[in-house]
Amino acid sequence: MRKAVAAPQISGISNPTKQQVRAGVTQAWMERLRPYLYVAPALTFFFLFFLFPIAYVIYLSFFDWTLLNLEEMDWVGFENYSALLAESDFHQVLWNSLVYTVSTVVLGILLSFLLALWLNKKAKVYGVIQAAVFSPHIISLVSVAMLWMWLMDPQYGLLNALLEMVGLPGYTWLAETKSAMISLILVSIWKGVGYNTLVFIAGMQSIPRDIYEAADLDQSPWWRTLTRITIPMLSPTLFFLLVINTVSSFQVFDTIYVMTQGGPINSTNMLVFYIYEQGMDFYNGGAASAASVILLGLVGILTFLHFRVMGKRVHYQ
Amino acid sequence: MKKEEIFVKKFQASMVACVLSVTAILAGCGTNQQASGGNQGTTNTAAPAQTTASAQPASDKPVEIDFWYALGGRNGEMIQEMVKKFNETHKDIVVKAAYQGNYYENHSKVLAAVSAGNQPDVTMVEVGSIGAFADAKVLEDLGPYTNGAESKYIPGLLGNSYWKDKLYAIPFNRSTPLLYLNRDMLKAAGLDPEGPKTWEELREFSKALTKKEGDKTSTYGFSTAIDIWFYEALVFQSGGSILTEDNKALAINSEQGKAPIAFWTSMLKEGIMKAPPGEKYNAWDVAKQDFLNGQVGMIFTSTGDLRGLKENAKFEVGAAFLPANKNYGAPTGGANLVVLAKSSDEEKKASWEFINWMTDTAQTVPFSLESGYMPVTTEAVESAEMKAAYEKEPNFQVAVKQLEYASPRPMVPGYKELQEVIMTELQRAVMGQATVEEALQKADEKGQKLLKK
Repeated sequence: MRKAVAAPQISGISNPTKQQVRAGVTQAWMERLRPYLYVAPALTFFFLFFLFPIAYVIYLSFFDWTLLNLEEMDWVGFENYSALLAESDFHQVLWNSLVYTVSTVVLGILLSFLLALWLNKKAKVYGVIQAAVFSPHIISLVSVAMLWMWLMDPQYGLLNALLEMVGLPGYTWLAETKSAMISLILVSIWKGVGYNTLVFIAGMQSIPRDIYEAADLDQSPWWRTLTRITIPMLSPTLFFLLVINTVSSFQVFDTIYVMTQGGPINSTNMLVFYIYEQGMDFYNGGAASAASVILLGLVGILTFLHFRVMGKRVHYQ
Repeated sequence: MKKEEIFVKKFQASMVACVLSVTAILAGCGTNQQASGGNQGTTNTAAPAQTTASAQPASDKPVEIDFWYALGGRNGEMIQEMVKKFNETHKDIVVKAAYQGNYYENHSKVLAAVSAGNQPDVTMVEVGSIGAFADAKVLEDLGPYTNGAESKYIPGLLGNSYWKDKLYAIPFNRSTPLLYLNRDMLKAAGLDPEGPKTWEELREFSKALTKKEGDKTSTYGFSTAIDIWFYEALVFQSGGSILTEDNKALAINSEQGKAPIAFWTSMLKEGIMKAPPGEKYNAWDVAKQDFLNGQVGMIFTSTGDLRGLKENAKFEVGAAFLPANKNYGAPTGGANLVVLAKSSDEEKKASWEFINWMTDTAQTVPFSLESGYMPVTTEAVESAEMKAAYEKEPNFQVAVKQLEYASPRPMVPGYKELQEVIMTELQRAVMGQATVEEALQKADEKGQKLLKK
């Protein structure tokens, strides 16, 4: 052992022999290779489970194929896409996804911002409220969906019982086309608001106090402090939440699967559920793959737009 | 058929292909795990030390077959027990049984496994999907194996066994819809406790049972999920069929197809029927809950619910034929057993022996008595054990008797998707978002597109 360690020191002083040169070259090679070896497991995973499936589903979307018979796959070019885009059900699915995403993101972020403003204080009681608001985040979405389904039951549900107690008529919740979407948005906001609030509070606490002290000295009114200091200083947080929430809203599945199955009358059928239905229930592989690529494209474009439009306004310290 | 557990998996949309191969792998793992568990109970069957004189030494080694089933809970346990018994009594065959989730999860896993080449030899296929599986050449024609043994099954249950004149599937766990009655409520209203026999009687009974408190209805006479299964029943009762004879188009844009929707909507309008809220099985659950709570007097649901409803009801539960329009009629449901085409000849022979045993009178009688599914052989219905059970609980016999009027479910490839289309259109008509004509017109157009494939 000691000898091996000593060897390079000697080679540095005396003229290197041929063997030592070769050893040096392999060593340099190893040095260069080493970082790649370290990340190799992660990269393999990334290629195998992210890049390869993405590439493969794009490839599959150009074929007419069904899970029933995988030996017969016909190349159809863009036919799956044109068929989907001509389908009125698919238009509704896209529209539903859009309505759901915009509503959950805008209302969810607004609500959590207000909550964060309220809860960003030192007293213990705020900590307790914060924990309570955050608690839905740690419950499995499937349980949440089951729970709300019971709460929203028109006949036995707690929500309608409460409404009737104060003399209001019961609401239809999941039973009608118009109210089903609102109900799903409500559940999603309830589930997500805690996490968003926590991130906002963390962002608020990282804003240097001296800026506020300076504002106080200048006797800046609260709304100006809010719009000129808090919001701009929070823009990286806001940006992060916007991207995360948009992407996750577009991928909503569990609540639909448990609570509405896309109904009544397709009023809550959204992209991922549509893909699932086409692929796993109806075995329309081509349509499911094409819809997956459309989902990928939409989320990609939205994220790109966020970065282009919003990204420029974000103020990083 | 109708006791599906909600099994939710987060499905990553962008990974269709990946998921397929993964399910195939997982399915394979499932089999192995189950197999090792199963072997513990039956080590003696697997023991190679068979001293019986055998003509061919090769047959000393027992044939191993994989059986994937789709029944959870107590029914699944019963299947495991039956398999264990089979293994104990058949030294030359080892069956490895594995639970694969509900019907449709099992379907996807089987299809993925077929393309991956590690498919089971025997599995359960929901009756409405037999045609799709047979057309995809996934199933083995059982004709050469049975040698006429299929004549032992109740004819009313064989409708979903044949596809293009070949025998592909053997009835196993089979159900049919029934009309359930709250007999106490019927008696209190001075109605015949045997229940309504026709649609018009159903309407009269419902009217008599409906109670209002102020402007709120406290009790509805009748309730049913607006489900394809019951719609099929009402179309059959009106003398119609869902598909045309050549299976190329929908036949419901007709008098027989309109009558059920008109019947339901008029009862809903009168306020004597309740359409339970919720999608798919959620609506079924609401109907059953309302029935048990005494908030509706009569419901449609599966034979499979008879035991559960009887045990939980605080009143006398009655079961009756679905009321007739022009005639009695009902679809059947549940799943059949099939053999996969990709298995070896030896495995196929063993598979038929296993299926034949599983559906034989000695097995189907206790399975029926415990699960509530119908017995599948004629001999079983006439067996002393079954007769004694019917004597004690006449409700159990209603389903078997109704089989005389039963029709097979449509089972063309694409019907799984088409039935969702029909259900959506039924909802539109029932909820007043479209007229009956518009709804059926749209279903018809979609049907022509889907059935052409």
